[in-house]
Amino acid sequence: MDAFTSLSTQLRGPTPDGLRELSDEELADLAAAVADARHRQAAALSEAGDRALSHIPRLLRGPIKRVVR
Amino acid sequence: MSRTAERLQGHAEVMKLARLLGREPEELAYLERVAPTDVRALRDSITETLYDANGSSLGRLAAASRLLPAGLTATIGQRAFGPLLSARLAGLLDTDKAVDVATKLPPPFLADVAVELDPRRASDLIASISPALIGQITAELVARREYVTMGRFVGHLSDEAIAAAVATMDDEAVLQTAFVLEDRSQLSRLFAKLPKGRSAGVIAAAADDDLWLEALDLLNHLHKRQRREMVLAALALQPPALEAILDTIVEHELWAEVLLIAEHDDAIGQQVADRLAALPASRRREVAERARQADVLKRLPRLAEALKG
Repeated sequence: MDAFTSLSTQLRGPTPDGLRELSDEELADLAAAVADARHRQAAALSEAGDRALSHIPRLLRGPIKRVVR
Repeated sequence: MSRTAERLQGHAEVMKLARLLGREPEELAYLERVAPTDVRALRDSITETLYDANGSSLGRLAAASRLLPAGLTATIGQRAFGPLLSARLAGLLDTDKAVDVATKLPPPFLADVAVELDPRRASDLIASISPALIGQITAELVARREYVTMGRFVGHLSDEAIAAAVATMDDEAVLQTAFVLEDRSQLSRLFAKLPKGRSAGVIAAAADDDLWLEALDLLNHLHKRQRREMVLAALALQPPALEAILDTIVEHELWAEVLLIAEHDDAIGQQVADRLAALPASRRREVAERARQADVLKRLPRLAEALKG
């Protein structure tokens, strides 16, 4: 798979043709940046759930956990 | 748009994409070789990707927040979620609830959220926030020189909110934000909200900070009356500033802008022609060739004459 196609498979929307001007290394860097951003977002989400619960009154934690689960 | 203005626009697009990806703009400098419209299209695709990636988890968090009072949701947003997740969640909350939460958060945190937010996904929320709070958030963004962030929001603000925002912006911030506005069709709307006399301040900021390229580029997007105000303010400046405007026009070959200024000041054509005639012959030939390609010389006969020979 070439670098342009590899980046395209990561994206939900279209990949602009103008990016074909970039080198394979640059396209690979871009693909890595997108993957890093996705991982950071996923990690932030998984940590946020537990942190959020500590701010919620005990009585409400059960109902909230059922909605979030 | 001149090539230099397009390069500056390209740099602004790379800054926006770098912000979205959590990278420094310098790390993505290679994207400045790509057309700004393509970098923007890439940003749109990546935004879709990131918002969709954890859509179901974010949806469940938004659903849970409906069970909590706004004050507690605000505390959790600030202390547990942080700006990034709060920005992702903002557009998923009911608008009334989200507005209630926003009013309970400090403006510096809301400014952090604004940096991370895709305004298109929270347009109803942004339009519902009070002008007073928009003004406070804008003041924070101005202090951080977050021009690209402010430029993304203008099209989503009510007229009253724009008026409150520009009231907190200094003249340089107005000029810099206007130049990187996401939707340039909003430029005349932004300038319509500037109080009388503020155009002169924007022109003075261009003179103080050598932002003539940015100021001249604006002329293409303003209504005739707004353009007249800007041009008259520029003409009232001291000779060194007028020289700097002529330098910028010739250096960046801003012929379309010469036509716009000539509507209000007939002398500009001859002044630019004199500059062109004084250029070295080789440079004059290059400029003439590009002007011919752009097909602008027919409407600027004095420039055409100066570029001959």
